Amino acid sequence: MTAVRTWLLARVTRVGAGTIAAVVAARDLWLVLVGTIAGIWRQYGRRGAPRPTDDLVEQLHVIGNRSLLFVAVTLGFIGMVMIYQACLQFSRSIGDLSQVGPQFVRLIVSDFGPTLTAMMLATRVGAGIAAEIGSMKVTEQVDALRLSGVLPVDYLLVPRFLASLVMTIVLSVIGSAIMYGAGAVTAYLSFGVNPRLFVDLGFVEPRHVILGLLKAAAYGAAIPVVAGSCGLRARGSSEGVGWATTAAVVGSSFAVIAIDFALSVGALWLLGGDL
Amino acid sequence: MSGGDPGAAGLVVFRDVHKAFDGKPVLRGMDLAVGQGEILFIIGTSGVGKSVTIKHLVGFLRIDRGEIWFDGRRVDQLDEKGFYAVRRRVGMVFQNATLFDSMTLAENVALPLRKHKRLRPTAALAQAMGRLEQVYLTGFADRYPAELSDGMRKRAAIARTLTMDPEVVLFDEPTTDLDPVNARRIDRLIRELSRDLGVTSIVVSHDLTAIFTIADRVAFLYQGRVHALGTPDELRRSPDPVVQQFIGGHATGPMETPGF
Repeated sequence: MTAVRTWLLARVTRVGAGTIAAVVAARDLWLVLVGTIAGIWRQYGRRGAPRPTDDLVEQLHVIGNRSLLFVAVTLGFIGMVMIYQACLQFSRSIGDLSQVGPQFVRLIVSDFGPTLTAMMLATRVGAGIAAEIGSMKVTEQVDALRLSGVLPVDYLLVPRFLASLVMTIVLSVIGSAIMYGAGAVTAYLSFGVNPRLFVDLGFVEPRHVILGLLKAAAYGAAIPVVAGSCGLRARGSSEGVGWATTAAVVGSSFAVIAIDFALSVGALWLLGGDL
Repeated sequence: MSGGDPGAAGLVVFRDVHKAFDGKPVLRGMDLAVGQGEILFIIGTSGVGKSVTIKHLVGFLRIDRGEIWFDGRRVDQLDEKGFYAVRRRVGMVFQNATLFDSMTLAENVALPLRKHKRLRPTAALAQAMGRLEQVYLTGFADRYPAELSDGMRKRAAIARTLTMDPEVVLFDEPTTDLDPVNARRIDRLIRELSRDLGVTSIVVSHDLTAIFTIADRVAFLYQGRVHALGTPDELRRSPDPVVQQFIGGHATGPMETPGF
């Protein structure tokens, strides 16, 4: 009996500890989000706010410009593979390839473009933010900021949040265009689909564009909040930074998928079946 | 130290302070009072809670039980915002110099002036130059921390702390990782702060040379409490075998050190 009791107790303790850890992580995430939004107000919103631009410009460059090649190459390849597969399936089933381009662009605009761009940024930008803030945390630089009268969220998260928000939208637009372009080239070279037939925006409606931009904005906000909160929770030494980086990549990728699902379901519910 | 007005006992007073990490107790009823203008060294083996003790005073850690008083006011119950007022009067020099890599030395030193005192960047930089002069770093104002030696970084960190004209400065192992020459320069700086400006210094250190050169009093932390407290000479003459083992640096003796 005692053995069973010990076994059960161990299991319950494990579940309990996991639940507490999850609640703490969720609370931290919430606090970082609220703190960042309050920080934006403190630094840019109210009258006489300091409006620091140097850090913001640097983060726009780090998050945006430096991710451009990575996003362009990966989305280009994904576009090629997807169109090749789509053309293959269409030619086997109905044989008419004229609809591949117009349907594909609708899907890119409302979903694949922003989501895949954000997945790429979650790895590159999320890891970068968590590693940078995490190493500042374990080397006591975050405490030194607090001692200097600086709120760490204002200094570390606000510029990254704003830069990520802007640049995820910009890169989503660029990534989508490259994905579509690469798809058009693949369809032409592999299946002889006329690019004039392929490039047809007839099925794209304003609501698809709005949904896509909304998703990109939500991803852009989520990645720095998740990664920043992981960085601020780093403890110990280099091991803690490693943990924070891994947790940031996993967490922000998951956040992208979860937001995609939530917004897609929300849009379906609001707009009906034709998305 | 039980009862009475804690404010009268000293500028900084720790009373029956308890702190545990993940269920492991580090401080177990620690009492300590630090007087105005004195240089107090906190010594003890690694992991005994020396750094933990001083971090409580500026709110980087929260005590589990007990009281901490600063200038007649209880501070352990303050929130983060409340601690900002304490941090204007209590500076800290961290173990790693903790300069911000993306800023020059002058910008690093000017940061607290811009934030705490709300000075404009140009005025803050001008004052920062004065502080750098105080630590003999005027010629390096435009350099980035990565370009400087450990000793220079440490001195710049001290200059940054001094910009706020603190009444108390907490030093977390200020001479660790420094060569003997730079270490003695830091000692001299701490001594000058106390003598010329009346700054109270609480220094966490293993550096026996510094302890016996500049300390007014020494608190020896052992098993979560202040085991011995007195002037360096009193400690040197102490008959306590644990104190003697630590000061003599003997590998064997009555001292219980976890992990050995």
